[in-house]
Amino acid sequence: MTAIASHRGPTMKLYVVVWIGLILIVGLEVFLTYEHLPAGTLLACLLGLALVEAGLGVMYFMHLKYERPALFWSLIPYLVFALVMMDHFWPDALRLMRQRMPGP
Amino acid sequence: MSQSAMGIGAAHAAGTEASPYGIPSKKLAMWLFITADAATFGAMLFAYGYLRIANPDWTRPFGFWPTIVNGIVMTVVLLTSSLTMVAAVAAAQSGRVSASVRWLGATILLGIAFAALHLREWLAMIGDGWRLFQNPMGGSPLFGAAFFGITGLHLLHVICGVVVIGAITIGFRRGRFDAGHVETTALYWHFVDLVWMFVFPLVYLMNVR
Repeated sequence: MTAIASHRGPTMKLYVVVWIGLILIVGLEVFLTYEHLPAGTLLACLLGLALVEAGLGVMYFMHLKYERPALFWSLIPYLVFALVMMDHFWPDALRLMRQRMPGP
Repeated sequence: MSQSAMGIGAAHAAGTEASPYGIPSKKLAMWLFITADAATFGAMLFAYGYLRIANPDWTRPFGFWPTIVNGIVMTVVLLTSSLTMVAAVAAAQSGRVSASVRWLGATILLGIAFAALHLREWLAMIGDGWRLFQNPMGGSPLFGAAFFGITGLHLLHVICGVVVIGAITIGFRRGRFDAGHVETTALYWHFVDLVWMFVFPLVYLMNVR
């Protein structure tokens, strides 16, 4: 094994707790889906829960919590920036669609 | 020491400089790949979101049975495969090769189960008349493109993951790969799992009848 590979990390017990937590969140998502919430509210709830799941997975299963903070700060803000910019530019694509010249 | 020998020595020192992140280069490369791939999936999910908003006649075809129940089972299978994968990494790092190989085998089986459930669902939808640009329910034909595009890209990742884990398992058992390879492969597999955590609520649950 390489000299810089780290053995620090959560125990199997913590992994199982995270796994149970993720399954409970999936159950909550399905429950909310059938609660007849307005579409916007449901979307916000589902996205929020998905972000919590992603956070748990990245931090514990992927060990980002146990790596040097520099790795987190080099990767995650870049990704968030890229996704925010996509969200910023996609509505522009819809605006251009409406500006399309009518066909002959 | 001659000047040329000193130059070689300096280059060698530069080549073995400590990693700024304290992780092996293959693990850093995997993190960079994951970040780029997350942006790819993000683009597809944003495109799907805006297509949905722009089409007032967007179809919501999924009933609780069989689609959502199937989706729940697929999600549990994939989450469980992440648990078996961390067990494989823990075993590999503590030098228990045969235990690690067994956990990797369990991960492969769960990955195959996920792919089989997914393909069964696809075949049922295709049997109902769904195509990339064909909607048998009469709504926007873009539903098929969005659904098959996003879930197809994810399924491709799952199938590639199963193949790679298989290759790593064989190499690790024969002593050709080390625990670092198992850990790097695990990063990819967890990422595939995380993507599904967004696909399931956005593509399935948001399209419940």
